[in-house]
Amino acid sequence: MAKEFEHSYAFFLGCIAPNRYPGCEAASIRTSAKLGIELVPLNGASCCPAPGAFGSIDLNVWYAMAARNLVLAEQMKKDITLICNGCYKSIWEVNHKLKHNDELRDGVNEVLAEIDMEFKGSIDVWHLAELLYDEKICGVKKVADSVTRPLSGTKIAVHYGCHLMKPQKERHFGDSENPMWLEELVEALGAEPVLYRNRMQCCGAGGGVRGYDILHSLDITNEKMINLREVGADALTEVCPFCQLQFDRGQIEIQENFGQVYNLPVLHYNELLGLAQGMTPAELALDLHAIDCSPFVEKIGKEE
Amino acid sequence: MAVEKNYGNSELEKKLEDRYYYTSDSNKDFSEKVRDISGTASHMCFQCGTCTGSCPSAPRSSYRIRVFMRRAVLGLEDEALTDPDLWLCTTCYSCTDRCPRDLAPTDVIMAMRNLAFKRDIVPRNFLKTAQLIYTTGHGVPNNDVNRAARVKLGLTADPPTTHMYPEYIEGIQKIMDYYKLKENADRILSEGGN
Repeated sequence: MAKEFEHSYAFFLGCIAPNRYPGCEAASIRTSAKLGIELVPLNGASCCPAPGAFGSIDLNVWYAMAARNLVLAEQMKKDITLICNGCYKSIWEVNHKLKHNDELRDGVNEVLAEIDMEFKGSIDVWHLAELLYDEKICGVKKVADSVTRPLSGTKIAVHYGCHLMKPQKERHFGDSENPMWLEELVEALGAEPVLYRNRMQCCGAGGGVRGYDILHSLDITNEKMINLREVGADALTEVCPFCQLQFDRGQIEIQENFGQVYNLPVLHYNELLGLAQGMTPAELALDLHAIDCSPFVEKIGKEE
Repeated sequence: MAVEKNYGNSELEKKLEDRYYYTSDSNKDFSEKVRDISGTASHMCFQCGTCTGSCPSAPRSSYRIRVFMRRAVLGLEDEALTDPDLWLCTTCYSCTDRCPRDLAPTDVIMAMRNLAFKRDIVPRNFLKTAQLIYTTGHGVPNNDVNRAARVKLGLTADPPTTHMYPEYIEGIQKIMDYYKLKENADRILSEGGN
């Protein structure tokens, strides 16, 4: 175990980051290392599993499958960190529920016994973005100090997504109507955060709706795109690869189905942080994004 | 001063002992099951409509979360579970955060979806995701384009998940088999329909 790291976490990858936007994974590992946070692979982890798809079919399977991932980290004696709101819903919420509900926990452990596992409740789960914001772990100032290539001259809008902060009473982030902490993290990179109408609205992908009724799902996304266009954002950032997929590939699908063109680059916050710490677009695999990110990258550092 | 009601009609009084209203379509068990699975007291809902007003799906469909809350209270099982709108909730939890009665309408929807699945009512895409996880461990598995990109980034071609360690997939299959999820998914998909 490397000694130079102040903090070390089991890195839960999920599905869409490693399998569709590997730049998110690479950026998270490299940018965190520069901030004294070590991300250790959580070997053998699976899908979280998808809270919309699995939770809708059978909540008990959802608990047990998420618990299996949690036990893998318990065996490593490390807290989990992750970079996706959907994963946060499954992994954080199931951990929380099993820790506080003995009946539920006994039921899950009965299933886990079949594969020689036991949920003990010995670790915590964190979204990497909240660790970056947390003064005790990193903090906005430390993020700002790590920037070597400020994203100056760019306007960046934030999409918080849903499952990180909602339902508010089961989370610890406070107000879910008008949060500003991700905007602070964007500002730390030298960019100008911009607000827009109905900022906290859902991307439209969750709950299995993207698979169930794609046009309905895209219409929700399109409403957000209209609001984003209104404020002239150069890029949209989020902390959830599933939202990223919905906004990025969704824009192509919106073009095909509704004929509206936005060409708004969509980057995960850790990809932005990577750019600001000097990583190149190639090192972030930005070419895998459906919407060309180069107009945004070229704008960096060029004041209007 | 409280006065005990007395209608002088024993049949009516017996009926009034149960303070809940049921029609011939009502299934009392359904209300109770939804309450138990969701962990939220739907009968506290006073139908203000803040949930529907907060819902991103409402403006573009006939989906009304408030109606589903009412169906939960009245025990309208068939009406709730056979309505295709049940699957239009994106689970964004806006309604839950804004409910003035501190209820969780989103969890009511999840409970109803669980109950619908028990009756084989479920959209195909949900089952296909379950099948993918059963065989690969991932709902969105890796592909060749992505493997090449990962290698260029200095990452392993397959992530250090069940993709790189397929020996873990057996454990996942055992969990899903415990609940007969794969079996049911295969059966429902092979029977066709929506």
